[in-house]
Amino acid sequence: MPLRKQLETVEDSMRHFSRIARLVVLLLGLSAAHLLHAQGNYEIQVYGADTEAPKSTMLELHSNFTADGQKHLIGGVYPTNHQQHETLEITQGINSWSEVGFYVFTSLQDGHGWQWVGDHIRPRVRVPDSWHWPIGVSLSTEVGYQRADYSPDTWTWEIRPIVDKSVGRWYFAVNPALERTLHGPDVSQGIGFSPGAKVGFDFTKAISGGIEYYADYGSITHIAALHDQQQQIFLVTDLNVSPKWEINVGVGIGPTAATDHWIVKGILGRHFSWVKQSVTD
Amino acid sequence: MLTRRSLLKLGSMAAASAALPQPAHSLAAADYALDLAPYTLDLAPKHSIKTIAYNQQVPGPLLRLREGKQVTIDVTNHTENEEVVHWHGLFLPPEVDGAMEEGTPMISPGGTARYTYTPSPAGFRWYHTHTFAGTDLKKAQYTGMHGFLLIDPIDPRENSSYYDEEFFLALHDWDGEMTGSADGSMNPEYKFSTINGRILGFGDPLRVKQGQRVLMHILNSSPTEQHWIALAGHQFRVIALDGNPVPNPQLVSMLRLAPAERVCAIVEMNHPGIWILGEVRKHIQAAGLGIVVEYAGRTGKPVWQQPENLLWDYSQFAATDPASSPARNIIDIPLVFESKFAGHGAPDHWTINGKSWPETSAAPLVHGQRYRLQFKNPSSDDHPVHLHRHSFELRCLPKNPNTHGILKDVVLVEAKTELHVEFTADNPGATLFHCHQQNHMDEGFMMLFHYV
Repeated sequence: MPLRKQLETVEDSMRHFSRIARLVVLLLGLSAAHLLHAQGNYEIQVYGADTEAPKSTMLELHSNFTADGQKHLIGGVYPTNHQQHETLEITQGINSWSEVGFYVFTSLQDGHGWQWVGDHIRPRVRVPDSWHWPIGVSLSTEVGYQRADYSPDTWTWEIRPIVDKSVGRWYFAVNPALERTLHGPDVSQGIGFSPGAKVGFDFTKAISGGIEYYADYGSITHIAALHDQQQQIFLVTDLNVSPKWEINVGVGIGPTAATDHWIVKGILGRHFSWVKQSVTD
Repeated sequence: MLTRRSLLKLGSMAAASAALPQPAHSLAAADYALDLAPYTLDLAPKHSIKTIAYNQQVPGPLLRLREGKQVTIDVTNHTENEEVVHWHGLFLPPEVDGAMEEGTPMISPGGTARYTYTPSPAGFRWYHTHTFAGTDLKKAQYTGMHGFLLIDPIDPRENSSYYDEEFFLALHDWDGEMTGSADGSMNPEYKFSTINGRILGFGDPLRVKQGQRVLMHILNSSPTEQHWIALAGHQFRVIALDGNPVPNPQLVSMLRLAPAERVCAIVEMNHPGIWILGEVRKHIQAAGLGIVVEYAGRTGKPVWQQPENLLWDYSQFAATDPASSPARNIIDIPLVFESKFAGHGAPDHWTINGKSWPETSAAPLVHGQRYRLQFKNPSSDDHPVHLHRHSFELRCLPKNPNTHGILKDVVLVEAKTELHVEFTADNPGATLFHCHQQNHMDEGFMMLFHYV
């Protein structure tokens, strides 16, 4: 083949590669945008199986800062980079085996101010103590709305089995959650799989440390490629300073392209009892 | 059932009343026989518990023995585990006291042991298993292996008290589960609580008549729980603690019994009606801890009057005369009770002076020497501590540093308090000291005194 022809072929190949590369980047970006909605980063928590006691309320503030996240506007969704998410969670105990939680999601970001993002409601039931199961088991379901500026899928539904167990100083919890988009681009995806897990260790009665894992594998029928999955691993500590307070702080890394790379999270919770407890109760 | 009004003696040979367990059956070779075997206890028509019991009943049979008269009791173990019977409150040799740690042989599954001893001192005692349960809340003191033991005095003029009727009542908790408590440690919580193995409303009532003086022998056989007891419409005149007459009997509205404690109290039946005798704390009475008290000729729904406070103070029963000056050569033995955190998914370990059983140790006792045990409890749990084979005298209580005259074998050392007792080392042999809360004992709260 003449040299000129060879050079034209190389140029064509380069143009072709460039087009493919641009297409791949676009697809990856769209894919990441679709997956990021599920990541949420508004409430980053592996649930324990216990429920709030009846006639008491838990107020929690989830504060999450994305130190290194998505930097571009994709599909009309604001970039997550340097977003500060403040979520108020109010959980009311119904009886000894059920509760209802309510969330108010907000976001702070340069250029956008402090914005209301959406609300979710989360009823939950658990296996009563009287069943004497060797593990803690509960089941929550969560449904709610988030603005399209922050999540392309505006209406979503989740069902989350919760299993946990304390063994000596060790604590184990898994949340193999299933998600379904009710309104948004991922409606066609069907049911997605978003597991969470935690392993903790009690260093002292007041200080525990552990690892929390969060993931979104995409559709349960078509598991996404690793590159497109969300994977987050947090190093956390729980401070058990008082039965009335819950404190959890952590730093998380997202190693895949579809995941925000660095997130700092904190949970501050306080139990309030609405019953005036008497010594004879 | 015996009903009479006469001068009788506390701990006399009065016959059993309606609430009494059945007497133990005699064997040819032994005075009494106890069979340990699996048993299904019907707490109520819809609630039953599979447990272990003595002679197929809960509580076990009432044993009424004579102080100073030798007795032989055969115990046969029909369970799958080694067992032993502790004769709680008696001054016995360690070989028959009923604690493996002191040297009493365990009874192997299928085996029989013969306990021969001379009971002393007189008073309301009890017998129970003395084994390890750990995390199995269906073993040891969590079972129905407990029974009343009444030692009648040699001299029937001792401990005299008027009464027309007597009842024996055992408070117990069932179907426990280890759960995380508010302070971050694990403790048992129970589904059911009973008096004499029955949930409130499902056992026979205590049948009384107006004008009677009723003597109640109340035992807390619970593995871990304290109980507060009141009788609606009535008061208790406490005449003995742990079977030992108190120097200053008092009228009280309620009783507190820590695990293994006993109270003997006279109740004047002067308020006819149908009443509830039960746990003062609502959630425990709701779990079943109560019994109906029924006056003859009265009908209707049982009435409960809810107290607003929990009231109890050992020192109100103390001698009122000035305390004698303490013995000059008394030896102090400080004992500090502390916990070691073992994780939110495990019970705390317990230590005495920084060590857990079997590493715990104390200086040897000298026969005849008087000792002051200084219980220091900086932990956040209460501890009903028990000294085997001896009685001790309460001397320094948190609210009364000059107490004297109250003899006991169990005392509740409340959290964050210090309490002193004195005893004379007058019964040579290995002597076990431990918290009578089963889970604390199992997690190291135990120590053995030796004599020189």
